[in-house]
Amino acid sequence: MPDVGRAAEAVASTPPMEFVARLVGFGHALRDEGLPVGSDDVVTFCSAVSELTPSDLEDVYWSGRTTLVHRRDHLALYDEVFRRYFLGHPAPADPEPSESEPIAQGLSGTLNVPDIEPGTQSGDDRPMVLGRQASGVQIQRDKRFAECTPTELAALRRIMAQVRLEPPRRRTRRRRTDPSGARLDIRRIARDAMRLSHAAPVLHRVTRAERARPLVLILDISGSMADYSRNLLQFAYSMRRAAQKVEVFCFGTRLTRITPALDRRNPDDAMKLAAARVLDWDGGTRIGASLDSFIRRWGRKGLSRGATVVICSDGLDRGEPAALASAMERLSRLCHRIIWMNPLVGDNADTPPSTLGMMAAGPFIDTLESGHDLASLEQFAAKLAHVG
Amino acid sequence: MSDQPRNETPASVAELQAQLRAAGYLASRGLATAALIGMRLGRPILLEGEVGVGKTEMAKCLAEIGGQQLIRLQCYEGIDTYQALYEWDYARQMLHVRALSESELTDAGAVSGLYGPEFLIERPLLSAIKAGSSAVLLIDEVDRADDEFEAFLLELLSDFQITIPELGTVTAASRPMVVLTSNRTRELHDALKRRCLYHWIGYPSFEEEIEIVRLRAPDAVATLAHEVVAAVQRLRDMDLAKPPGVAETLDWVDALGVLGTDDLDAAAAADTIGAVIKDRDDLELVEAELDRVVADA
Repeated sequence: MPDVGRAAEAVASTPPMEFVARLVGFGHALRDEGLPVGSDDVVTFCSAVSELTPSDLEDVYWSGRTTLVHRRDHLALYDEVFRRYFLGHPAPADPEPSESEPIAQGLSGTLNVPDIEPGTQSGDDRPMVLGRQASGVQIQRDKRFAECTPTELAALRRIMAQVRLEPPRRRTRRRRTDPSGARLDIRRIARDAMRLSHAAPVLHRVTRAERARPLVLILDISGSMADYSRNLLQFAYSMRRAAQKVEVFCFGTRLTRITPALDRRNPDDAMKLAAARVLDWDGGTRIGASLDSFIRRWGRKGLSRGATVVICSDGLDRGEPAALASAMERLSRLCHRIIWMNPLVGDNADTPPSTLGMMAAGPFIDTLESGHDLASLEQFAAKLAHVG
Repeated sequence: MSDQPRNETPASVAELQAQLRAAGYLASRGLATAALIGMRLGRPILLEGEVGVGKTEMAKCLAEIGGQQLIRLQCYEGIDTYQALYEWDYARQMLHVRALSESELTDAGAVSGLYGPEFLIERPLLSAIKAGSSAVLLIDEVDRADDEFEAFLLELLSDFQITIPELGTVTAASRPMVVLTSNRTRELHDALKRRCLYHWIGYPSFEEEIEIVRLRAPDAVATLAHEVVAAVQRLRDMDLAKPPGVAETLDWVDALGVLGTDDLDAAAAADTIGAVIKDRDDLELVEAELDRVVADA
């Protein structure tokens, strides 16, 4: 709550028209700071203030807060603009910790994935030894992806089409008409019989309806996964565009939700935005802690309930294996199925890699997949409806 | 129940706060402001907040102080218009047809009579529209419903009218007060949010929570209330998967009251911890530090 006592008289003495202008100006000030304040919101704000005591700045504060702000994340910014606009507090020294800045500067983590099969890729400067642990360094850096190549774009389109055609589904409690259904639709039969009073009743049958099953993608973007993160993001983008109820998270040493960033029509824009959101590109890995924070912030609230959870990671974990095991156990109780995509599996899915993380997580994984390149991700998308 | 005549909104935020308090609800200034503006402008209020901070209770108390009927629509995944709006009572219609004699059936009025109001099962939204401003409509946990249902709500909340093909259009004579609650399990659509006044209910401060306990559990010993609130506030600072809400505080006070405990010590807390902590992992964490949790501040 800002300290509102001092400026109260100043507002009270202004004539109504000027006062309205001042309120509208406040709406504009919020908009300048990036809050989505529409004209209708401003109108509501003004009528709300006139219903209360306009001379009381506290009323102005609360009515603005309830009419101009629509989400909790914006409250802090609202408070700051309010203080500045009505109480004349100076703006903070660094007004916007610009999110776009790091993208412009950072070239350090640039990935050069050519549009060839990763198997034939040279320059493997990060040898991966199975059973080893990942580095625990908490590096925060950003990443810039090269634009999608035509080959990749075509693959993305194929994934989207595939998933649109056959998304993972679950049965609901509702029923739909189905000539070969197991149950009779007594209501419909009765209705028909009533209408066509003497004709022989037609038997209608129903079966359980199906709905798209939620899909949660949790992507490892730590250093050891650097070679795959571009493809994984492209995959996530396609899934998000193609199916309903898809949520995407990234983690290295911390968990970031990138779902909103992927809602762009252009894949390059989406990837750029997503890349800007994640702060710990190519750093260490804490799978257990990241999964735990997923469970706490999202999973427990129902985001993963009934969902297919796809974890894409090589299992090179720096954290405690026990933490990973307990997080996996809890996650397995909160979702329908856990699919683990491990690029180290490659083409022989029968022999799971013996990294410490995989051993800890193993008992809770329903399906182990590879997903080491866009082609295998495409195959995975095709059979998602059946494994999920 | 207050002596306020029905449909007359309180004159000021302070008055509304006082009325809510008399009904047993301690509303912050911001919450009361949002409610008052909602009443005056006829806008729905969207309450978001952690579990157990009194979102649903707020709607109940608003109905109580206005002498209005509370109509509650509990949302869940897969809720559809039949469960929210209305449904025809087919079984009754069938029985009615059976009861009619052959000659009565040929009468044209007999069939249209089948779609009379007595065969209509009203669901909460239709009841609220019919009740108008004599009701408070609580749409609880709207985040659990599907997106399509949200779009439907959007339409309903802007016009407050429903068209039933067989009966015609039902329009609300006056708008009911609408309270939506969300636990934020998913982000609601901006369009729905824009139509609503928004208020985030956070956890109360130490003093506020003591007030709430005094208001809701007047029989509790003052020192006990103090200790319980202090312990709950410490629990909220711990890294729990499911931090206790105000509802849990009240449950804990009640549970201790049942046992006749006047003083919260580690032993009493261990016996009754199930009232506040409802997760096995959290329980392990808390039990290890129980002494610290109940320690005198």
